[in-house]
Amino acid sequence: MSYLDLTITDMHEALVAKKVTPLELAKEALERAKANNDNAFEGYMDEQALSIAASLKEPEVNNPFWGIPFVIKDNFATRNFPTTGSSNILKDYVPCFDATAVAKLLQAHAVPIAKSTLDELAMGGSGITGHKGPTFNPYDSKHERMIGGSSCGSAVSVAASIVPFALGSDTGDSVRKPAGYAGLVGMKPTWGRISRYGLFPFAPSLDHVGYFTRSVEDAALSLAVIAGRDLEDSTSSTRPVEDYTRLLKTDLKGIRVAVIKEIMDTITNPTVLKAFDQSIVALREAGAVVDNVHFDKRLLGTIYPTYITISCSEVTSNNANLDGIKFGPRFEGNTYQEVMFNARTAGFSELIKRRFVIGSFALMRENQDVLFLRAQKCRRKIVDTLNDILKTYDAVYLPSAPTIAPKFKDSHDQLSDEYLIADNHLAFGNFAGLPSLTLPIGFEKGMPLGANVMGRAFEEAKVFQIAQAIENKTGYRNLSAKEVRV
Amino acid sequence: MKEINKNVLKDAAHRLLFDMTEEQYDVLEKEFTVLVKQMDLIGTIEGIDDYQPMTFPFEVSTSYMRDDIPDTPLPREVALANAKDVVDGQIKLPKVVG
Repeated sequence: MSYLDLTITDMHEALVAKKVTPLELAKEALERAKANNDNAFEGYMDEQALSIAASLKEPEVNNPFWGIPFVIKDNFATRNFPTTGSSNILKDYVPCFDATAVAKLLQAHAVPIAKSTLDELAMGGSGITGHKGPTFNPYDSKHERMIGGSSCGSAVSVAASIVPFALGSDTGDSVRKPAGYAGLVGMKPTWGRISRYGLFPFAPSLDHVGYFTRSVEDAALSLAVIAGRDLEDSTSSTRPVEDYTRLLKTDLKGIRVAVIKEIMDTITNPTVLKAFDQSIVALREAGAVVDNVHFDKRLLGTIYPTYITISCSEVTSNNANLDGIKFGPRFEGNTYQEVMFNARTAGFSELIKRRFVIGSFALMRENQDVLFLRAQKCRRKIVDTLNDILKTYDAVYLPSAPTIAPKFKDSHDQLSDEYLIADNHLAFGNFAGLPSLTLPIGFEKGMPLGANVMGRAFEEAKVFQIAQAIENKTGYRNLSAKEVRV
Repeated sequence: MKEINKNVLKDAAHRLLFDMTEEQYDVLEKEFTVLVKQMDLIGTIEGIDDYQPMTFPFEVSTSYMRDDIPDTPLPREVALANAKDVVDGQIKLPKVVG
């Protein structure tokens, strides 16, 4: 057991007691990152990491991130360090500024170790579309199973105990889905709670900064470090940052939790259902009332197409600046339009070109009303229905996926209820901008299973409270793939 | 809604200034047959057109006038550092007029 295997909270105690130094942790984290074979990294930040870590001499008792090594998804701008978004169109791009979430971690004297792989420009859920190829689930030594995306490399970093914290981003479920496949706590707070300045935009009405930890307590501690109003992001909330750990030791008396029956009906895996039922028992033992509630099944089936239509439409304009002129590889042409055309043709991979085309098609004059606008209307109906449930319940609780992490070669019927509902429901949390946390609840064939707690806007502390009650019962805290590989 | 065929998909790609191979358009055309069925589900929701389009999760009131803060703008060499073809402090592109 190394100090690097600990959670943030326990690592902090070891740092304060001077049992280990930030430099020792940083060196070991870099060694582990370089030894990892899951294709999780875009670049190693040796120079920054060792320089920052060496400068940290006297532990800050009240700063839990002092000297803590962390990993950054490669769609967050990092000053003077390449940031590619796992896309060839940003090859060699070096930002001149830090994203606010990164800057806040640096201000807290956390130590950046590496930039992690992602689905190209965060547009994917499988972790296979980045320019360096597929990222593997560290729980599966055969490398047959995905870890999910788009925050695939960040999920590996924490699941493989390379670091106890990694930044991710979540537009549909890109933190919370991989967290479920990797035995992690994956948190996406309320839309606007964390500044998105310096996060490459995918679909700004849905984009959230999120992150991975190996315990609920760590997740609660982390939010206070990176949340807050930022004048560089006009959509960031002006609400004060809270102590998000304040309810962790409080039981769940008076808490009401809703389970959406029509989503549960689409899940058939008996291990998932059993683990989920056991976690419901844990919630009830902690004092919560847990009820089945209803949600129009037909409306649930529209979450995925609504997500695809809106996100692909928004991204068409957000990535218009990727033209091979101001940054990225240059391709010659006879006109500046040809320069852009050639750069974009060579720079984007097939999958995201297909997503761009979907968006372009939905925004065509003839299609806008029936596709894009109608998807936005559907979003409102879904959000109204979800928020109606949350008028009488503190949280919605569901499995984060219907199965363990799929194999790369697995195929799905994309019109089935399992695909449209069980596998893709988490996006309604992005539609509504609600705080949403995935945590581990069990294993099947040595692979983790997750569940998701989604609360009311800006009630993150209550989401952590509910999740903590589940973690207390399951004991699934500080899980590491190093110990459970299949 | 526009009928989907390869030419429409090419038009959609070209509007965003990129191209794909013929094989990739073939794959995309097949993908669209499923996608359209998924999108059609939205149209089956009763009263969907009575709803107002939702553009953000909730209203954010951020209208305010901040104080002016004197600052140094981004130096030109930093702004141009990532451009691959720079001449005399400007990004070089093909001539627009002869």
